[in-house]
Amino acid sequence: MRTTYGKSLPSTRLDNLGGKLIVIEGTDGAGRSTQIDLLKPWLEELGHAVVDTGMTRSPLAGDGIRRAKEGNNLGRVTQSLFYATDFVDRLENEIVPALRAGFIVLTDRYIYSLMARAIVRGMDPHWIRSIYSVALKPDAVFYLRLGIDQLLPRVIFTRGFDYWESGMDLYPGHDMYDSFCNYQAALLAEFDRLSSEFNFQLVDAARDAKTVCEQLKENILQLLEKDSRKSFMAKVYDESAARTLREVRERPVFDTRVEHPVGVVPGLAPAVARATNGNGHYAFHQK
Amino acid sequence: MEIGSGVRIGPFEVFAPLQPATSMIRQYGEHHFPGRLIVVEGIDGSGKSTQLSLLHKWLESKGYGVVFSEWNSSPLVKDTTKYGKKKKMLTPATFSLIHSTDFADRTERSILPLLKAGAVVLCDRYIYTAFARDVARGMDREWVRDLYGFAVQPAIAFYFRVPLETAIHRLLDGRDGFKFYEAGMDLNLSDDSVESFRLFQGRILAEYEKMIPEFGLTVIDATLPIETQQSQVRHIVRTHLDHAKELRVRP
Repeated sequence: MRTTYGKSLPSTRLDNLGGKLIVIEGTDGAGRSTQIDLLKPWLEELGHAVVDTGMTRSPLAGDGIRRAKEGNNLGRVTQSLFYATDFVDRLENEIVPALRAGFIVLTDRYIYSLMARAIVRGMDPHWIRSIYSVALKPDAVFYLRLGIDQLLPRVIFTRGFDYWESGMDLYPGHDMYDSFCNYQAALLAEFDRLSSEFNFQLVDAARDAKTVCEQLKENILQLLEKDSRKSFMAKVYDESAARTLREVRERPVFDTRVEHPVGVVPGLAPAVARATNGNGHYAFHQK
Repeated sequence: MEIGSGVRIGPFEVFAPLQPATSMIRQYGEHHFPGRLIVVEGIDGSGKSTQLSLLHKWLESKGYGVVFSEWNSSPLVKDTTKYGKKKKMLTPATFSLIHSTDFADRTERSILPLLKAGAVVLCDRYIYTAFARDVARGMDREWVRDLYGFAVQPAIAFYFRVPLETAIHRLLDGRDGFKFYEAGMDLNLSDDSVESFRLFQGRILAEYEKMIPEFGLTVIDATLPIETQQSQVRHIVRTHLDHAKELRVRP
């Protein structure tokens, strides 16, 4: 049975959440979405149903967060809680149902990013952990780690500085560059702290996307193999059970080759009829 | 702000914006602001809003700088809440979280700065409403209390205690039926909205009763005449404002 980080939600049953919950974590610009775009078709090709999800994609709070971030008056506590609302909406209505249906859920960031951002913004670490104690423990967390010196050129020469990614709400007096460096460095420090606490699997994201993807695929295969060995065994059991049933079904009740004591046979017939799911009438016709 | 708190990543030195030990969450609860926070609590139909508006007028007439803040009214968040309610997409958990987001915005944007500025802040419903409703919806009691750990502790929290039937009678006099979430219809307690309201608000009343000793709520008997309740309320408020003469905007 799946577990959470301490508290469970009243509307969420934790049994039968069979799928796999795989988290891709990392700071801004570490290449998370690139990897997810590569992993999803690969997993589907292997025959797995995949759902991908990420921050602010909830039908409930996604638009509200985007609207709030357009302005200049989104407070730090409010921001943390708005993101928590978005997360729990997706957890309850997207992640949990997908896992129950046996999907692989690939999530671009999880509670760890949200905790890191909140803590860097001065929120109490105990407070933010308590809020996210309702989150499901994932099957794997891949942490795409990128040093800030490698991160800088990626951001500057692709999309430029973003107000929130630069933590401008935190360092209003600074220019975007200084603010970005300080904010991202503080985030990295927090991520590294969370890494050991939550058993992240470290992935060096400084390498090219293809190499990073190979490593992710290998790790994901290991995870799935562990599972498929289990399901293979289940299949073996199923097949042997079916074979037994078939044999029972095919065995004539009044088998002339077997010498039944006369009194036992009538008692056996109804049992076989039940065992063959009510389809046991042939037993009598065979006579 | 301290530059160079010892964390170095690559060539960059981190200046931590706020140390966790002096986190805002704890600051809010412990700080002693020059202003005064007064809140009213009680189920719908307890008459708390009437009492608060009478108190508001009285305080203004006495020359205090008074500000009023209502539950679920943040300009940044209330559209999301409204949308979620209209589409009936709120679960007990997201109902709880979106209301805490609304409350956080009002705390950061108005309640906190105004208390710092020395205002008398009046809140129609406060964190106790969330505690009562969310726990009645099945949320973990401790989790909800932690969630609101950033709230400023009020100087006085009035609880207008009223029997369930009196409240229902008062409410149904003015309109027919109840809204979906107000009646707790999301919990499938009953198909009938009045019956569902009765069951749901019954749970809420039980939660309020438990909170009276837990948070030291000031109980007002809401079955008494309006004037009697108001004079009790003013008497209690006066004792809290006696030492706060500087709060008066006008002499």
